[in-house]
Amino acid sequence: MDERKDFGENDGVIHYELQEFKLFEPLFKWARKKSLWIVAFCTGCGGIEMPPLATARYDFERFGIMPNPAPRMADLFLITGYVTPKTLKRIIITYEMMQDPKYLLAHGSCPINGGVYWDSYNVVKQLDKYIPIDVAIAGCMPRPEAVMDGIMEIMRKIETGEADGWKRYRENYEYYRRNQDKLFGEGWREKEAKRWLAWI
Amino acid sequence: MTLVPEAYVVPLTLFSPLVFGVLAWLFDRDWVRETLGVIGAAVPLTVLSLAYEKASSGTISYTIDTGVFKLHFVLNSLSWYFAFIGALVGIAMAFGLSSTSRRGYDWLFSLMSFTGVMGVFLARDFVSLFLFWELMTFGSFMMVLRRNRHESLKYFVLSVIGAYSMLLAIGMVYAKTGTLDYAMASQTLLLLTKMGGVSKAYVDTIFALFLLAFGVKAGVVPLHVWAPGAYGENDQSYTSFFSGVLSKAGVYGFIITLFVMPSLYGIYFAMGTFHGHLTGTYLIAWAGAVTVVVASFLAVLQEDIRKLLAYSSVGQVGYIILALGVFNGVAVGGAMFHVLSHAMFKGLFWLISAALILRTGKTRFEDFGGLAEKMPVTFAMALIAVLSLAGIPPMAGFASKWLIYEGAIQAHMPLVAGTIFLGSALAFAYVVRFLYAVWFGQRPSDLDDVREAPLPLLVGMTVLAIPNIVFGIAPGLAVRLINRFFNTNITVNSYYSISTPTGTYNALSVTLVLIVGLAIAGLVYIYGANARKIKVTNTYQSGNPVTEEYNLVIRRNFYRPLAEALDFWLKYSWDRFYERLANLSEDFADWLREGFYNGNVQSYSWYLAIILLILAIWGVL
Amino acid sequence: MFDWRLILDAIGILIYALIVGFIFMGIERKAMARIQRRIGPPIYQPIIDTLKLLGKKESVSHGFVYNFGPVFALGVSITALLFIPIANFQLFSSNADLIVVAYLLEVPMLGIMLGAMSSGNPYSALGVQRGLLTMVAMQLPYGLAIIALVQHWGTFKLSQLVALQQLQGWSITVPALALAFIVFDIVFQALLGLEPFDIITAPAEISMGPMVEYGGKHAALLFTQHAVQLFAETAFFAVLFFGGASNLLDLFLKQLLVLFIAIFVASIYPRFTIDQAAKFFWKWPTIIGIIAVLLTV
Repeated sequence: MDERKDFGENDGVIHYELQEFKLFEPLFKWARKKSLWIVAFCTGCGGIEMPPLATARYDFERFGIMPNPAPRMADLFLITGYVTPKTLKRIIITYEMMQDPKYLLAHGSCPINGGVYWDSYNVVKQLDKYIPIDVAIAGCMPRPEAVMDGIMEIMRKIETGEADGWKRYRENYEYYRRNQDKLFGEGWREKEAKRWLAWI
Repeated sequence: MTLVPEAYVVPLTLFSPLVFGVLAWLFDRDWVRETLGVIGAAVPLTVLSLAYEKASSGTISYTIDTGVFKLHFVLNSLSWYFAFIGALVGIAMAFGLSSTSRRGYDWLFSLMSFTGVMGVFLARDFVSLFLFWELMTFGSFMMVLRRNRHESLKYFVLSVIGAYSMLLAIGMVYAKTGTLDYAMASQTLLLLTKMGGVSKAYVDTIFALFLLAFGVKAGVVPLHVWAPGAYGENDQSYTSFFSGVLSKAGVYGFIITLFVMPSLYGIYFAMGTFHGHLTGTYLIAWAGAVTVVVASFLAVLQEDIRKLLAYSSVGQVGYIILALGVFNGVAVGGAMFHVLSHAMFKGLFWLISAALILRTGKTRFEDFGGLAEKMPVTFAMALIAVLSLAGIPPMAGFASKWLIYEGAIQAHMPLVAGTIFLGSALAFAYVVRFLYAVWFGQRPSDLDDVREAPLPLLVGMTVLAIPNIVFGIAPGLAVRLINRFFNTNITVNSYYSISTPTGTYNALSVTLVLIVGLAIAGLVYIYGANARKIKVTNTYQSGNPVTEEYNLVIRRNFYRPLAEALDFWLKYSWDRFYERLANLSEDFADWLREGFYNGNVQSYSWYLAIILLILAIWGVL
Repeated sequence: MFDWRLILDAIGILIYALIVGFIFMGIERKAMARIQRRIGPPIYQPIIDTLKLLGKKESVSHGFVYNFGPVFALGVSITALLFIPIANFQLFSSNADLIVVAYLLEVPMLGIMLGAMSSGNPYSALGVQRGLLTMVAMQLPYGLAIIALVQHWGTFKLSQLVALQQLQGWSITVPALALAFIVFDIVFQALLGLEPFDIITAPAEISMGPMVEYGGKHAALLFTQHAVQLFAETAFFAVLFFGGASNLLDLFLKQLLVLFIAIFVASIYPRFTIDQAAKFFWKWPTIIGIIAVLLTV
């Protein structure tokens, strides 16, 4: 079997037709804004900021936000802290698995410029080179208020149509793909999958 | 009746399979053998279809005079019903065998058991019942013997026990009544009991012996141990007949004992009641209930496709026995209906497993996977079989099970009815295991070049799949047939609608509403974005990429938690109990042999002296 | 030929059930949130969620059965709904009876599982396994509760069941049936997939179980199915034990009562493992169920 078919660009992750809902599009847009499901995928130290957001103090569920363990249904991907190459692989795979439209919120300084790990050999300095970020929140760590603010910003952007990371990812896939391959080497998905076999 | 003269109906039905089986064995060439075999199986079906009018309004009788005994055969609506089911599964089996078997041997013995089972259904006296019963057992035994000696021995031993007890019972009947005809024997026995010529214990013994004989064939727990081996270690096309029809011969035996020879159960009225139920039939109902539960639990925990289907067969026949034991019109009607639907869906299941084994050569669930794309037609058939077995309306399996539910609950046998609920959930569990392991998930790389099942096998499957749907949507058809020979208390409102005294089931309205529901759901589906097909490896594994090289399907011990919850009960096994019993008796025989045949001439002379002494004391010498 | 009145009724009830079902799902989330001292989402939140899922611009599929599973589940749920007498609307309930409806209410699970299995995800397979084992475990007490009910009222017809209860008092006022009610309520928790029996989806454990591979319109279908199913199951409960209802408001209140019991239980208890659930179901609910059926013989 052709190996490239398994993990290459032709796997249909990116090249597919999108559905346009002409009549109900405004309704769907409103629904997208009011119902953001988060991929429960906490990277780095920001994951610990999520419980206060979810519990009685800040309660993001009142905006229809809900953590969801299955990425196929989810809309919002929170990158909660620094990203190592190893995590980034998982992030990319999960992000590609989410269905359009999907949004990405980078959380804290690390995804923006490496933060306190600016000189680390094993931290991805600029996440935006590998996957498109819709909103980034500065801070180390950002307080739940700041995260709430970021989520509000995402909602506003969804309403105005500015949250178009998923579109940018499709349009500039070559660019992102090049950067990813530069970091991990060609055929990294396949290699990663095989390396994982040892664990099972 | 113009096509087949009345006098030829019964002999054609009875003997054409055997004759054509012998011919197929003699002319053991490709095509010739298959053609002969299919013709042999098709003749009974054709003849029975043509004889429908006559058989449903009156009877067609036929007698063979052997000089010693007269063998009576009667085609009435009861025997027509059973024989027709047998012939339908028989033709499907013949189509299946022409794909799966390349031996005249298989054709000879499978068609021999076909003749045997037809004889059992049509027989009206004990001699022909016994003869054809043995013919049937012999044919099926030879089928198993060729493939697995150990399993065939197990089958043989239990069949012999059944045969001896039947012979003994027949002998006991004959000794008192002097007749072997069902009706005459029954009446005479009743008269004799009333006059005190026969003790109640005597009749009880006859009853128990018959139930033992028929229980072995029907696979009632704890007499079921032969079934998994014999069903499994066999040509699977033949098993569709073995499990679909031969087990029904056991059920038919129960029906003879309970209804055709009413004196036996009439005497059972005298045996008293237990909380308002006849004790005899109550025991049968519980035997059925235990069979349902035990066999279904075991089916859930099997790792081999043949074992799973075999235990499921035992469990489903348990439903029939249970319903016969519930002993009211609705439940018995349900039992008769379930005979039909079980023959259809289980025959279909076995043909599917025949196709799978033929195309892949594998039997264990861990070796299968992802075959739905490779064998789409077989998969569609499997879906029909699964829906019918799981009892999804509107399938035949639901209609019959519904009647059993109603009957059991109306009869105020709550715990027996409770086991039906449990059994149906277990049926869900094991059919889903079958679906998941065989058809879905990642395909093992060695199954990549599997092809669709061969055409004759598909034809056989279609023959069995259509009745599943037809009798599901039109349960009235089957109930009308059953009402001809048994007053079931079920009203047939129309072809599509049947009513019991307490409930109604309109299959057509369920079907229509289901179609409307599916249409509404389909509209929602169509409105959404177009789905694009992705690979089976493109699944969420917590962000890890997946390769084809490691199969992520849960292949073994799928229902491990259930086994853990049941670990106390699973420590005990009838199978192991019998094995141990066999070993014990073997040891005992060894001990005896070694003790007596010790090679010492002196002790042999002593034996002689002792025997002579005994004979002398007895007064022989 | 056509009974236009009936068809209009059916369409009306379907729309009503859909909306109320969604509202019930919202109430479920809202009540849970209030118990945890949160504000919680608006009660129409599930409608927004479903719209959003339906409005996803892409959709993936693992083949025909994967698509067919949710469609089949929703179709059967709608069928089940239309055979239950809803308040003063009899719909098709004269054509089918309790056993048929009880079966139809279980079949959607098979549809979901069919689709989930065909995705090839082992989490889905685990969910399927857990779902079926829960079903095996709960079926015995469930069956016993239904048998007790039928033995007492002597009919399988749901419409007659309602009529009898309105004449002679609700089922739960009969002592033996009160026991059956307890059993049914425990089983109901598993039917709805709520804690302590939310073993099937177990979000933090096996990533939503059967639903893990579903997204977009498939998930929207499953949400719709859940709404219809929730309405049908609560209505079924109300019909069996609370004497049905004479109008929709009455029915709504009874459904709400049933739902709130379920929510309160769910928000207190943690999750059983599957073998614990099986052992639990085969102990107390079964014993109480046996007592109930023996009392009604």
